Amino acid sequence: MRVAVTGTPGTGKTTATELLESRLANSESDDEGEATPALDVIHLNQVLEDEGLYTEVDADRDSKIADLEALAEWLDGRDDVVIESHLAHHFDADRIVVLRCHPETLEERLRERGETDAKAAENAESEALDVILSEAVEEHGLESVYEIDTTDRDPEAVADDLAAVAAGEREPSAGEVDFMGYLT
Amino acid sequence: MSQDDDKWGIAHVHASFNNTVMTVTDLTGAETIAKSSGGTAVKQNRDEASPYAAMQMAESIAEEVKAAGITGLHVRVRGPGGNLQKSPGPGAQATIRALARSGIEIGRIEDVTPIPHDGSRAPKGKGGY
Ligand SMILES: Nc1ncnc2c1ncn2[C@@H]1O[C@H](COP(=O)(O)OP(=O)(O)O)[C@@H](O)[C@H]1O
Ligand SMILES: [Mg+2]
Repeated sequence: MRVAVTGTPGTGKTTATELLESRLANSESDDEGEATPALDVIHLNQVLEDEGLYTEVDADRDSKIADLEALAEWLDGRDDVVIESHLAHHFDADRIVVLRCHPETLEERLRERGETDAKAAENAESEALDVILSEAVEEHGLESVYEIDTTDRDPEAVADDLAAVAAGEREPSAGEVDFMGYLT
Repeated sequence: MSQDDDKWGIAHVHASFNNTVMTVTDLTGAETIAKSSGGTAVKQNRDEASPYAAMQMAESIAEEVKAAGITGLHVRVRGPGGNLQKSPGPGAQATIRALARSGIEIGRIEDVTPIPHDGSRAPKGKGGY
């Protein structure tokens, strides 16, 4: 089972999957007999950095342009995993989680994380236009996409939802939020 | 032909997963000439409803724009609805065609869809437009 966790930067992918990771690590020892699948979490940005899997740098955005083929090759054979990245929906996966966050909240989160105004603003606009959700549905179909709104929810609750998707306890969903009001 | 007979504006089309919003401004972007209330698709029949709603919106905007003496529009598209034509988004294409059918001349069509990015981004044509 491969689960992709994608979403605009700032939606909380790294935070939620780190929680999931520590739960998965603990669940092996406490043996509750629950059907928590044994999935490793792959933070793909880290792989891209460590392995140098990018082709060039977008200087305007201070952002490395991912080598998607090389990343796909690196992922090949890693099947019981949660892949966490705003690029995760560009790879083969059984279930695609798209984390969402109201653009105003997203912009605040990114500024607090120390990103530039330009970076925060372009990501907020991307979120308002459903860019990643649309790509995820385009590439994988409505039946494989699970949209989760993280606005006003704490990371533990989001991690609960991720676990539910991984365990097959959630129905697919897409297009349930409309953040267009942010732009107009 | 006087200046007024050949007046141009910019149509800003925002095309998201199931919503399309259009604003027409003057060439500087400062003055708003017409604004759509938004063609929101009904979720259950997104495929049918969205392009239809977008077209209706474009037709009513076209009337307002013509009444303001604008004869041509440059189009700036933001959002996957304008790029991934097979996507469930309503498609900015439907909006542009409807504007043209209403007798408005269409000038430059520009794609200014934002690119999600942190330390990395997708290459062009694959998410990154
Ligand atoms: N559910 C949440 N509620 C409030 N703040 C959050 C939440 N999840 C993450 N954050 C904060 O928002 C910022 C972005 O989160 P992060 O996990 O880095 O997002 P991503 O990996 O999707 O870019 C961080 O500063 C993080 O502490
Ligand atoms: Mg992250």
